[in-house]
Amino acid sequence: MEAIANVSRVWRRSLLGFALAVVLPLVTGCGDAEPPSPAARPTPLAAKLPVHTRAVPGVPHILVDAGGQATKLACSTCHSMKQAVPTQRGGSGLRLFHQGLEVAHGNLTCLSCHNPDDYDALRLADGRRVPFERVMDLCAQCHGPQARDYAHGAHGGMSGYWDRTRGTQVRNQCTHCHAPHAPAYPTMRPTFKPRDRFLPVRSESHDD
Amino acid sequence: MAPEPPAINPESKHWASYPRFLLRAVSAATDGSFLFYAWMTALTAVFLVGVNAWAHQVTGGMVNTNMSDHVSWGLYIANFTFMVGVAAGGVMMVIPAYLYKDKRMQDVVIIGELLAIAAVAACMLFVMADLGRPDRFWHMLPGIGRFNFPMSMLTWDVLVLNGYLLINLHVVGYLLYTRFLGKEPNPRWYKPFVMLSIVWAISIHTVTAFLYCGLGGRPFWNSALLAPRFLASAFVSGPAFIILTMLVLQRFAGMPKPDKPIGTLVKIVRVTILVNLLMVVSELFTEFYAGGAHTASARYLFLGHGEANALVPWIWTAVVLNIVAAITFLKPGLTERKGLLVLACVFAFTGAWIEKGMGLIIPGFIPSTLHEYVEYLPSHLEWRVSAGVIAFGLLVYSAALKVAIPIFRGTMRDRPPTEPDKATTVN
Amino acid sequence: MTDAAPTPPSPPAATGVSRRRMVKALGATLGAAAFGTAISPLFRGSELNADELMQRHYKELSAADKQTVLRRLEAEAKEASGRDVTIKDAQPRPKTKFVYAINLSVCNGNGNCVEACHKENNHDRDSNQSYIRVLEMPKGTMDMEKGNTTYTGAVPQKDKFYMPVQCQQCDEPPCVDVCPVQATWKEKDGIVVVDYNWCIGCRYCMAACPYHARRFNWEKPNVPAAEVNPNQGYLSNRVRPQGVVEKCHFCLHRTREGKLPACLEACPTGARVFGNILDPKSNIRWILENKRVYVLKEELGTKPSFFYFFDK
Repeated sequence: MEAIANVSRVWRRSLLGFALAVVLPLVTGCGDAEPPSPAARPTPLAAKLPVHTRAVPGVPHILVDAGGQATKLACSTCHSMKQAVPTQRGGSGLRLFHQGLEVAHGNLTCLSCHNPDDYDALRLADGRRVPFERVMDLCAQCHGPQARDYAHGAHGGMSGYWDRTRGTQVRNQCTHCHAPHAPAYPTMRPTFKPRDRFLPVRSESHDD
Repeated sequence: MAPEPPAINPESKHWASYPRFLLRAVSAATDGSFLFYAWMTALTAVFLVGVNAWAHQVTGGMVNTNMSDHVSWGLYIANFTFMVGVAAGGVMMVIPAYLYKDKRMQDVVIIGELLAIAAVAACMLFVMADLGRPDRFWHMLPGIGRFNFPMSMLTWDVLVLNGYLLINLHVVGYLLYTRFLGKEPNPRWYKPFVMLSIVWAISIHTVTAFLYCGLGGRPFWNSALLAPRFLASAFVSGPAFIILTMLVLQRFAGMPKPDKPIGTLVKIVRVTILVNLLMVVSELFTEFYAGGAHTASARYLFLGHGEANALVPWIWTAVVLNIVAAITFLKPGLTERKGLLVLACVFAFTGAWIEKGMGLIIPGFIPSTLHEYVEYLPSHLEWRVSAGVIAFGLLVYSAALKVAIPIFRGTMRDRPPTEPDKATTVN
Repeated sequence: MTDAAPTPPSPPAATGVSRRRMVKALGATLGAAAFGTAISPLFRGSELNADELMQRHYKELSAADKQTVLRRLEAEAKEASGRDVTIKDAQPRPKTKFVYAINLSVCNGNGNCVEACHKENNHDRDSNQSYIRVLEMPKGTMDMEKGNTTYTGAVPQKDKFYMPVQCQQCDEPPCVDVCPVQATWKEKDGIVVVDYNWCIGCRYCMAACPYHARRFNWEKPNVPAAEVNPNQGYLSNRVRPQGVVEKCHFCLHRTREGKLPACLEACPTGARVFGNILDPKSNIRWILENKRVYVLKEELGTKPSFFYFFDK
């Protein structure tokens, strides 16, 4: 749980640019006991009980304080009126809701993933539209080995049952652990260390 | 020694004379001079301190020791290992006596056998002291518990140690009883057992070495040389202790001058101590010349590892003691120079104790199997318990000698029950 | 009958004998009293009871015996902590052999597994006991001597990788061979277990284990009642008695019911993979068939059921 909270912290940091916002009531933060969503990615491990892949948020919204009233705005609300900038890489120069957005994701442009024809969805490399719920299809285009490992239960955390004839296995999706704009896994701080008698501490903390 | 005893009354019945023998033995063991009483009282006191410490350990947990998940065996098992050596070495008296028919040795061979008995008793107490659940000791009894024989070397050790104890009790008991009756012991009833005890002495120490060298995960112990090394050092510590015993008995118990047997034992130690040193050097050569991760324990033991160097003073003490003792034993005419002989024996004995105890058992655990350096030195409680066990061993040894010597010297003999008890014993 | 001994010295005076007898009797009495005092701590606050003392080995218990034992242990646990706990005796499932693998490219040494194990298995709180130790190792070596378990601060460090070690559930377990009383054995599903009520605490298994997988209860484990995990197993996570050895059991009270082990669920990086190697479609089978895996200290011939691999 702590790790997930950690990840959501990263999420939040990368989304600071969104003015009032916490995009999406962060399914990442909770989302333990929700029912399998119809949007869940079909999995190759379908033989036994279905794997419950934790849902990722659908179309992102931004909460805007419009005259004292919170209003939910979709991305397309603004972007339908704006010209896309195909050369935009990284967060510098972004304004308004995206100001300060931390982007550290290879050499991608915004439009590598975001769909200029429909900002309420994403797009694959071949231009096909893909909904936010199926973000894993998008990630898998570049991260093939990870997608392959994920498909075989060798990447990405899980919980519940190993024996899927007896219970549901709950899986994460890419963006539960990796912030899409800065996907490197965050550093953590181990809090629980052995306290054996007579065990000398061999080195001081790395970074203090 | 006593003159050849005349034939005993053929009507003598064992059912009557054996209880008399036991009774007289108990009486002799509890009778003595002021010095004897002082010695036995002191040993009893130390033993009781040990018992009390052990009781605290059982109740409060072994957290009272300084052992840890990293160094999971400590002073108890170190002492156990050493005492097995003393027990095996005790029988070294027997080899010249019976294999080479050395008549003078046969008279003192009983000392070695008694030492073996006392040392095995101490071994068993050390194992008991090391158990986390002594109340479940019966789980190890064959037939009643679940005895993991032959897979576990520890079950082998239980068998050979108990077997050794029984063999030696039989030989000693038989010899003493027949002498007590004034009969000449029938070789049929003890010779085969004496021979068996020689083989068995080698087996107890080999099996004890196998306890350790059979563990692939502990490179420090995982050496084919361990069992021969154990034997060599056993044949140092056992005879050294017997020499000391004989000198003490001569001084305080009026035993005749034991120059001849001491001379034989000195000859034995002179060789075994060098053999032992040679084997230690061979081990160290392979460890230090080749280097590598498997030699971490030896490096820790002799040189320390950064801040961790608790055993360095121990092992260098042992090295010095062993070398000095080895050189001293080479000296011609050592038997005549009692002071030097005592010194050499004490050095050899202590050197072996460190080398085979703390110097062998503890570095097997340091670094741990995950290569963590967690050190160990015994706690006060462990010292108290160990002292108590040693005191118990000495109690058994002293009491047994107290009974055996007058019988062998012929001053304690069976008499018909009607006659008043007239004999006294030495001291 | 003649006295065979040489002329004995004159017999001691009668008064001497009786005084000597008195001294002996006094000595014996004092000795016995002192002995009684010396061992008296054994009877103070002793928790021993006859049922426990006489309990047979796990494998010798009939189904009815087991129920009696489990209920007794539950009652004792309730008495000790005031909590209702259930102690089950989950059995190995047919056609199941558990195997574990850890992806060292992904593990970042955060130690959540260590803590999850600590809580799940009712470990002693004072020592932060756990069946898992995580080594921080410099990249470029597999020499564990270069490792460190006491690292703190941010992880992962750029020049380090992290290697959690726990019981490797060997197929040739040296710890099982050496146990003098068969208190530890390998179950059909590959898990090496300990009967905490049979172990005599000789710690030979700890000397034999090449992976530092075994722990000893140097004192009665201290687990505050509120923190006790009430879902317990006889061979797994029930609160251990003092003076016995314990070890990782792949959370058999969970895994034999189909659930994932606690350390795996706690892993935020997804480095841990667990499953039934006899199932050709299992995750773990895929790893072993498609990743270049290795085992710790392979040269010792212990045949671990625990594998490590790197992605890159």
